[in-house]
Amino acid sequence: MRKLLVKTAGIAAISMAMACQTATANEALKIGFVGVTSGPAAAWGTSNVRSMQTRADWLNEQGGVTIGDTTYDIEIITFDDQKDPKRAIAGMEKMAQEGIHYVVGPNVDDGAAAVRPVAEKNDIIYFPYAFPKSLYTPPASNAVLGMIANYQSGPAIYTYLKENKGVKTVAFVAANESDPLSQRDGGVAAAEALGLKVVSSNITYQVDTTDFTPVITPAIKKRPDLLVLSGVAPANAPQLIRSARELGYQGIISTETAQDAQVLQEGAGNLANGFISVGGASTPEIASDTMREFVKRYTEKFGEYNDESNTKVYALEYIIETLKANPNALTNVEEFKKTIETFEVPNPYMKGDASLKYVGTTSFTQKRQLMVPLVVNVYQDGKFETLFIAEVD
Amino acid sequence: MEQILVNGAYLGAQYALIALGLTLIFALMNVLNFAHGQMYVLGGFVTYTIYGQLGMPYALALLVTAVSLAVVGAVVERFLFRPVIRRSQRDESTMLLAAGLGFFLDAVILLLFGEKQRGVPKLIDGVFNWDFRVIMPHDRILIGCLAVGCIVLFILFMHFSKTGRALRALAQDRDAAQLMGVDVDRYSMTGFALGAMLAGIVGGLLVTITGVNLGMGGPTSTKAFMMVMIGGAGVIPGAIVGGVILGFMESILLSALASYGDVTYLLIFVSLMIFLAIRPNGLMGKPWG
Amino acid sequence: MNTKQIFSSLLFLLSILVLIPWFIATSGRWDLYYTLTSVALLAIASAGVWLTFYIGRINIGQGAFALLGGYITAILITKAHFSFWIALPLSGIGAALISVLIGLPILRLRGVYFAMITLVLTEVGRLSALALPITNGAKGISNIPLPGKVSLFGIPIIPDFATLENPRIGFYFLAVCLMILCFAVVFRLVHSRLGHLCRSMQQNEELTASIGVNIAYIRIIIYALCSFMGGIGGSIFAVMSQSIYPSSFQVADSINFMLNCFLGGLGYVFGPMLGTVVLYFGWDLLFQTGKYQMLIYSSLLILCMLILPNGLLSLRLPGRKNS
Repeated sequence: MRKLLVKTAGIAAISMAMACQTATANEALKIGFVGVTSGPAAAWGTSNVRSMQTRADWLNEQGGVTIGDTTYDIEIITFDDQKDPKRAIAGMEKMAQEGIHYVVGPNVDDGAAAVRPVAEKNDIIYFPYAFPKSLYTPPASNAVLGMIANYQSGPAIYTYLKENKGVKTVAFVAANESDPLSQRDGGVAAAEALGLKVVSSNITYQVDTTDFTPVITPAIKKRPDLLVLSGVAPANAPQLIRSARELGYQGIISTETAQDAQVLQEGAGNLANGFISVGGASTPEIASDTMREFVKRYTEKFGEYNDESNTKVYALEYIIETLKANPNALTNVEEFKKTIETFEVPNPYMKGDASLKYVGTTSFTQKRQLMVPLVVNVYQDGKFETLFIAEVD
Repeated sequence: MEQILVNGAYLGAQYALIALGLTLIFALMNVLNFAHGQMYVLGGFVTYTIYGQLGMPYALALLVTAVSLAVVGAVVERFLFRPVIRRSQRDESTMLLAAGLGFFLDAVILLLFGEKQRGVPKLIDGVFNWDFRVIMPHDRILIGCLAVGCIVLFILFMHFSKTGRALRALAQDRDAAQLMGVDVDRYSMTGFALGAMLAGIVGGLLVTITGVNLGMGGPTSTKAFMMVMIGGAGVIPGAIVGGVILGFMESILLSALASYGDVTYLLIFVSLMIFLAIRPNGLMGKPWG
Repeated sequence: MNTKQIFSSLLFLLSILVLIPWFIATSGRWDLYYTLTSVALLAIASAGVWLTFYIGRINIGQGAFALLGGYITAILITKAHFSFWIALPLSGIGAALISVLIGLPILRLRGVYFAMITLVLTEVGRLSALALPITNGAKGISNIPLPGKVSLFGIPIIPDFATLENPRIGFYFLAVCLMILCFAVVFRLVHSRLGHLCRSMQQNEELTASIGVNIAYIRIIIYALCSFMGGIGGSIFAVMSQSIYPSSFQVADSINFMLNCFLGGLGYVFGPMLGTVVLYFGWDLLFQTGKYQMLIYSSLLILCMLILPNGLLSLRLPGRKNS
């Protein structure tokens, strides 16, 4: 009898506990991340993962995300590919194994191209931060570009500078690696199409260069109106700017990648004033309260904000919002692709009536790009100021 | 042309200092320190923290960097390399240890200092400009001079101090040195600490010019290996010569081949391979085997 | 070979050819096929590096030959429309031929000089892939078709991989069979007269030369064999991932090949295989630990060296001390 009592009590306790658990914890919705978070290029993936985790924690804290009739907690599954395309494939296989259909990453061109067969075979939609057009143009259909590509921002910047600053000649400098080289080629083509004179385009440097003065001297000698640092890593940008300015270069310096204001401040100080780069949606003029809250939470969670995260906050938001719009897409990526065509909701990170929608028809002939505001920043005394804002279609 | 030479001299001075630490460790213990670049990065971050973040004087920051890296070097030798060298059948086994240490330092640096590029305020402002023929910012000149100063100090130390003489004896012939009453264990540790300290000092010096970031470690090691090979492994003048040669090569080839861009480093590497095929021990290296 | 060796090798064959596929089929862990195939291919390349260790050379240049093999395959298949089954051996042979050309001068170098020059060679490989026109530069070569079918006298021997329900299985068997073959060759070589000569070269080259051994010839043979394995590994990698880029094999890979050998043990033929398995899966298993992954991984690596400085295989179980 006593035994039975104990047993019943035990069962009751367990079922109570289980009931409590179901009451508090929702079903998990797994979103993947495959990218580089260790080693020399750790900066690229880290800001990516961190913005995803910040956003996921925030949503879960608010009680999760309701898609269809079910409320989910967002769970971020990360995989560090060490910037190795071979590992990136293994990461994508791992995501497929976990039953994940939506993956953010990889961060580099070759990783993004390498995972394509795996993603297509396993019905994974992935959001690379890589620019090769072949990833997004048919017959490819599972990749969605997570940011503004250089061949979109480049022409916008060059046009602006041509019309407003009278820029006529351009020089390009790039690191001797896959991504910067392709971006340089894209930039050269864009500049030539706009009728600008490209005075120097084949200067390259190793990413481990400790002194950029000899690298950049030949470009400065041509005295271009505009110096483009193609695909420059945030680590190299301040040094290049500093070398160019110290050599007496007076023209405009720009890049098509996102940069970090503090890194520029520390590395180049006032010499970086006037440096033009592409940013996310966090300049004070356009950042909404949600964006400020996001930055605050990110800073609390990881100690320090990274301005690069401004562009990287969007992918997760798009995935969740699109799933909300069409719950069938949870398991069926074809539904997701259908929803892409018509999807449109307000953009929580921007003031005004901006919206989240998929774009890319001009560049890729199909909608395979997140509509992220193309914010062109200019660095001034430790922070970015918005130069102009454009949209990609 | 003058600009190219000045650039080369500046590069050469910093490269030579990097290579010195590596070659010292190699000469003493036959350890190819894959973690040398990471120690350099660590040094840069220590200086960054003390000078850039806490706002202490630069000289103090450099001193703390030197001391802390020396401690790291001593600990690494005492607790990692010494037991492994003693027990392994082949000398090369230390390479795995050194590479593991490199990964480890990378991870520690990532956790402690983050993934971002860091920089510190300029030491002195102003640019030296000789009629646009030679342009050299003042802080570069200062750092270049400091690097040369460190090299001279190091050579004097190796030649005229008791420790230096013991280290040279050890490098020349470990067994003979031991027979002559040199405390091999103690001086191995000193040597390793000194090598790590040199790496840290370069980091501390260069952080004021180029800043520092996590990714610089591995490539810096590779570059230091190249300089050591040019000059000859385990020979101190060799490291200096190697560093200076690589510095000038980079400076000259980068401007001469500027219009071919993509092939500059390919050419440097290939010519290095050809050079080594002709002179298998570098310019002044001792044969190794 | 004694009975014990035969028994253990049979057991090994059984486990990788039957038990692992069975385990994957029952547990549904299909992603393991890719990782295991990767391990097998990396082990093949590492076996080559191990061979160069065997003649007393530290080789940090295998990445260059793996990259070369991958590019030869990719170019032969996409540009010249060769069948993969012809491109595969050609990649190995191509890598071996190049290695003879490069090896003739650089094999005279020793110790740290050889290590460093091979490290530079890896970088040369990457930069050449970026600069040469035939490699398609930074964009790499993608959309490489899967291996086609092979039939002998009308009887299909190997099916068309594209028609397989899961091509990964095909690659798995291809890779492990080649791995077994490579290690068998290395094992045989080590226990042959050539193996004895290699061991004596590892001890002292001058002494070996003084008894009339053509050491230059042996060095070249071994180095070519090493590069052949690298080329084969890279070739299958390119076809399995259906793409190759300048960054597919770089300095980090070259260093990993070397570390695999160290970790497994330089004195044991099967050291590189074990080292590859442990290093690759070690990283994967630690993926739960998030941002501490690298810290734990490297600490374990250092710990391994401290406890077993002669490699994992130097660990002897107490009961087997006499074997």
